[in-house]
Amino acid sequence: MAVRHQLELFPGCGVTLLLFDRLRNAAALRKKAMEGSMEGAFINPAMIVDPFQILVAVNKAVHLHKIGKMKTRTLYSEIIFSLSPNNNISDAFKKFGISDSDTAVLIVLVTDEGKTVNVEDIASQVEGQQVSLDELPRLADTAKIKKLYKITPQEEKIGTLLDSIVCRMSTKDVL
Amino acid sequence: AGPAMAEAGAAGPAMAEAGAAGPVVAEAVPPPPPPLPGLQLVRQGAEACVYRGLFLGRAAVAKLRIPKRYRHPALEERLSRRRTAQEARSLLRCRRAGISAPVVYFVDYVTNSIYLEDIVDSITVQDHINSLQQSGNDTSSLLILAEKMGELLARMHDEDLIHGDLTTSNILLRPPTEKLDLVLIDFGLSFISGLPEDKGVDLYVLEKAFLSTHPDTEAMFKTLLKTYAATSKKSGPVIKRLDEVRLRGRKRSMVG
Repeated sequence: MAVRHQLELFPGCGVTLLLFDRLRNAAALRKKAMEGSMEGAFINPAMIVDPFQILVAVNKAVHLHKIGKMKTRTLYSEIIFSLSPNNNISDAFKKFGISDSDTAVLIVLVTDEGKTVNVEDIASQVEGQQVSLDELPRLADTAKIKKLYKITPQEEKIGTLLDSIVCRMSTKDVL
Repeated sequence: AGPAMAEAGAAGPAMAEAGAAGPVVAEAVPPPPPPLPGLQLVRQGAEACVYRGLFLGRAAVAKLRIPKRYRHPALEERLSRRRTAQEARSLLRCRRAGISAPVVYFVDYVTNSIYLEDIVDSITVQDHINSLQQSGNDTSSLLILAEKMGELLARMHDEDLIHGDLTTSNILLRPPTEKLDLVLIDFGLSFISGLPEDKGVDLYVLEKAFLSTHPDTEAMFKTLLKTYAATSKKSGPVIKRLDEVRLRGRKRSMVG
């Protein structure tokens, strides 16, 4: 059910994605994330259309982390920031991070060579039901996403929503 | 000679092993290929090595710039970065305007490499024209292709986007080919400009590339320009400039 992917450009670096629905303790999780007592990036799945969107964000964050050029303080906060189409950090957290009233959460973990992710350990702290990443499209708020990423009507004709999102994520620092 | 030799020694086909007696030929050493699954070298141009492979689970193209050792390192870095940034910026601009161009997946400003969407099973307009001409097919489909190209370029120029390297190998046809679904690629030399001069030159570059690569395509290019003029709102001055640029051209000295 969890999706795992090895980052090609950073051998040994693995990404694990866990999705939980029917969440009851969003506030507690957010607190743990802020304190740093629980590892991972806690993302609001309503803003995510496809796991590829997360992988692009993680790839960029890991790259910046390796060259010491992250804009935020930790790798996990950098992943959340990378999802945003603009360069405002606190705005990124508000829009893509987990909020107290959320009923679903996408948890992203990044592990180095050899280290494995203890999914049971994470799942035990989440009061919700783990579901397959295939549920992401159902949980996505397409209208909100289109508005946030400022997708133009011409753009929708030449590609998918995911295409538009990824393009903005990867080029936002050149503008 | 020191730094160039040291780096060249590490890579494969470097020629700078020769004794220090002769002139130091700073061989352009290609960067190491990216560790992507299913990696294939697509081409090695003067500017960059282009590879295909899977990136984050998707078919992607990786363009790794070839550092030019004959340039001063500071200049090389700046130029390389500018070209990479221009490419990324132009691709986003195209997309926002609804002009078909590859999606950017990742830009690495350390090596000035760019990872883009691979338009799988696409063929270049160049190859398409060649195969149609070889099989002696009717030229009407070529004219429709020309119309589509004219329309695409008009929309690009209306966004004040200058491609900078328009050739028939920089325009792809998505499968199935018959749909004539065009995709613009290779924006490394692109820039933003509203000047009819720049747009005129852009078209001139294409015209030269067209006529030199594809024999007997004058009618095709004429159709392209006609559709361009009809589609673009600002085409008047551009076509005028194109005529002027043609007169200027190269090797057009009127000295007997």
